[in-house]
Amino acid sequence: MSLTIHFTLNGSPVVFEVEPEERLVHTLRERAGLTGTKLGCGIGECGACSVLLDGKLVPSCLVLSAQADGHEVTTIEGLSKNGLSDLQRAFVEEGAVQCGYCTPGMVMAGEAVLRRYQRPTTRQIRAGIAGNLCRCTGYAKIVSAIRKTARRRAHRRSGR
Amino acid sequence: MDKTPSVVGARVKRIDAEDKVAGRTLYPSDKTLPGMLWVEVVRAAHPHARIREIDVKPALEVPGVVRVLTHRDVPGENAFGIQIQDMPVLCFDRVRYLGDAVALVGAETRQAAREGARRVRVDYEVLEPITDPEAAMAPGAVALHPKGNIMHQGHFEKGDLAAGFACCAVIVENDYSVPMIDHAFLETEAGISYYDEHGRLTVDACGQYIYRDQTQIARALGLPLHQVRVMAPIVGGAFGGKDEVTVQIHLALMTFHTQRPCRMVATREESIVSHTKRHPVKMSYKTGADRQGNLLCVQARFVADTGAYASLGGPVLNVMMEHAAGPYRVPNVKVDGYAVYTNNGFSGAFRGFGCTQACVGLESQMDLMAAALRLDPLKFREQNVLHKGDLAGLGYPMTCEVGAGRTVRSAQRGALYRSRRRRAPAKPATPSLKPYLRRGVGVATQMQGLGLGIGIPDYAEVGLDLRPDGTLQLRAGTNEIGQGAYTAYLQILSGRLGVPLSRLSMVGADTALTPDSGTTTASRTIFAVGKAVELAAEKLERVLGERAERAFGWAPGPARLQGDQLAGSGGRRPLRELLGDEELSVQAVFHVPVAEREMGDGLPHRFYSFGTHVAEVEVNTLTGEIAVTAVEAHLDGGKVISRTGFEGQSEGGIAQGIGYALMEEVRLEGGRFLTTNFHTYVIPTSLDVPEDLRTVPVEVREPEGPYGAKGISETAMVGVTPAVLNAIADALGVRFFRLPVRAEDVLAALQEKKT
Repeated sequence: MSLTIHFTLNGSPVVFEVEPEERLVHTLRERAGLTGTKLGCGIGECGACSVLLDGKLVPSCLVLSAQADGHEVTTIEGLSKNGLSDLQRAFVEEGAVQCGYCTPGMVMAGEAVLRRYQRPTTRQIRAGIAGNLCRCTGYAKIVSAIRKTARRRAHRRSGR
Repeated sequence: MDKTPSVVGARVKRIDAEDKVAGRTLYPSDKTLPGMLWVEVVRAAHPHARIREIDVKPALEVPGVVRVLTHRDVPGENAFGIQIQDMPVLCFDRVRYLGDAVALVGAETRQAAREGARRVRVDYEVLEPITDPEAAMAPGAVALHPKGNIMHQGHFEKGDLAAGFACCAVIVENDYSVPMIDHAFLETEAGISYYDEHGRLTVDACGQYIYRDQTQIARALGLPLHQVRVMAPIVGGAFGGKDEVTVQIHLALMTFHTQRPCRMVATREESIVSHTKRHPVKMSYKTGADRQGNLLCVQARFVADTGAYASLGGPVLNVMMEHAAGPYRVPNVKVDGYAVYTNNGFSGAFRGFGCTQACVGLESQMDLMAAALRLDPLKFREQNVLHKGDLAGLGYPMTCEVGAGRTVRSAQRGALYRSRRRRAPAKPATPSLKPYLRRGVGVATQMQGLGLGIGIPDYAEVGLDLRPDGTLQLRAGTNEIGQGAYTAYLQILSGRLGVPLSRLSMVGADTALTPDSGTTTASRTIFAVGKAVELAAEKLERVLGERAERAFGWAPGPARLQGDQLAGSGGRRPLRELLGDEELSVQAVFHVPVAEREMGDGLPHRFYSFGTHVAEVEVNTLTGEIAVTAVEAHLDGGKVISRTGFEGQSEGGIAQGIGYALMEEVRLEGGRFLTTNFHTYVIPTSLDVPEDLRTVPVEVREPEGPYGAKGISETAMVGVTPAVLNAIADALGVRFFRLPVRAEDVLAALQEKKT
């Protein structure tokens, strides 16, 4: 028995027929074809499947698709709808991308940090991405990219 | 001549970064095809058992299941393995570890495939698992393979050990134990298979060497090589864990039998159970030095648990033995090593490739000897490091450029090591340091063989296509597994041709399009493939010169590209006048030079990278927690091609080295895995890796490499673990001989020290 769910995906209304036990990561990757959201562990430990649900960072492998019904989901594809976001550009500039499999989830986690804190400390950045595993980079350049974006956004805000 | 162009050694944006950061890159696990089947593997239910019967009928009754394959359906040789083909594609008489594949289920949906896999009935005669390598080696032990359980052994002797020890003022003898660990690449094993437009059975899946995968697939399917195509340009991390075949043969087999496209994506649990691991090793070291601090003797014995199948266990053990005496001049050396079959998973390639384990033992010994001699640990190392022309541990001469001493001196000058005195144990100089915190600083020096070594074909071929508009496409068969080599190849090409990066593009890892550039392993790609890129650039200019000589009457000599123009002795002409609408393609191959004399499979290497790591830890004596607070890496990888890539490798290596020292262990009980996902197999997060990471390039140029470059990816990790161990010993005055060192180990040790 499948369910019909309606939600806003990267700004557009979508409808899917899903299984009752289906996880959001599956709906995004296999039904919506948005493979930017990755699957690394399936138990909410690695963060590769991180998306924003109503602006809040969640591991989409632990969210039932039915829980998204009536809500707003933002994936990595949504962040770069109009070209790369400032945070994504900073990841490229800082060399924060290696194999890149953790990168979409890491960018989502970074975006959540930046939405939560206007001027995040290094500690806050590190804590904010602690749910996202990266095996390639040692995290330093990822932290730099988030910090750089925070500074740029602060600068933009103060310029207004 | 040495005017290095600015693009070489620079911080450039990776060519793959924008697509990756946008989520646009398609990884093996992202690929789908219309009409494809999902393939699930029925894996062994016991770590050691005889198969009496396999009944696939119940699986075929599941709606959606299209085909179930067993050993009877393997048309070619039902065996694979990089070095020794001792591993069945699908088991027929016996299973030897929990990851063994017994049957494959192809179904219209993943759910149906899983249900089908659950319903395949395998009747087993359960056998006692063999889990202790020492017991497996003993006479009379049940043999897991026809030739017995000692899969590989090596024995080397140099000098006179007894006489050497007689001259020692200090002799240190210890046993060390290092655990099995998992690569924990973020993307699990995955891929698709189909027949391409030329009727080739095509596998587009994760891997680290397309041409060897092609051979392994063709052999198992009984097909000629040209009917099998393998591609794997972008892979979500590997670290050696995708060097051996994982999903490739299974995918090909299901497509072969059903004529339909197929897809596989391993769950994390399946990944951890099935793929190779870093060998758990028990080692004994006895080392000695004279009163002046000259290292006189190194005696080492390694027993490596290679698990159920060979894979690269033999070469890993060889590299372990090759590096047993590290980057030091030692007149008297004896090394004995065994790689032993058991039912504990199976082990193979992993960043460091045996060097990692040996370095933990040796660099602990080095600190203990230095302390006994009251010598500064880095001074002691500096006094004993190898120089060019010296005999290495096993007795062969070092003919490459040797930067070991320079990495030691670079570390001596570094801020972290100079702060060591001020942070001596029990005398916290930092006012903020709480009384229950102890700081310590530790070092480790090491070397790492580059490439595959003597006796194993090690070459790289690349293709280079010049279009009439002056843009170029480089074709190389290695994989982009995260290391950033594709970008570095283009930097080398840009440097040699003087063509900006924006006019260069890259096609990677497709047996139908790219030449055989060799493996994406062994820190070799920048060195070997990069050199082939240099050769291809030279060849292109030569060929252009020859053609310009014929076409335009220019004087003999190479011609240079300038945008869409060709420049040479006769001035400048549009490239199109020479090429018309045709592309000009050249190929070049580099054969990696080898040592003079072979001492074993891949043994020894001719080229090495070197490094000295300095680590600082803070240990909480109340909770036992260890925090690594700073790491400095002084790395000789020759000339740095990509500064960003170099730092990336170093920083990632530091994180992995910390994981090996403090956190990671694949735990098994009776051959069954207790750690099957990231909740129990814990790897470093952003909170476990220090903010303070410094990577110092020590650029000792190797003339054989492109621009003098070597490789760095393994050296970047290997020294980190013993440097952390030595820092803990410095902090607490207590040494650990077993990895990982966890909080409870620290508390127990401190308790013991008190009593």
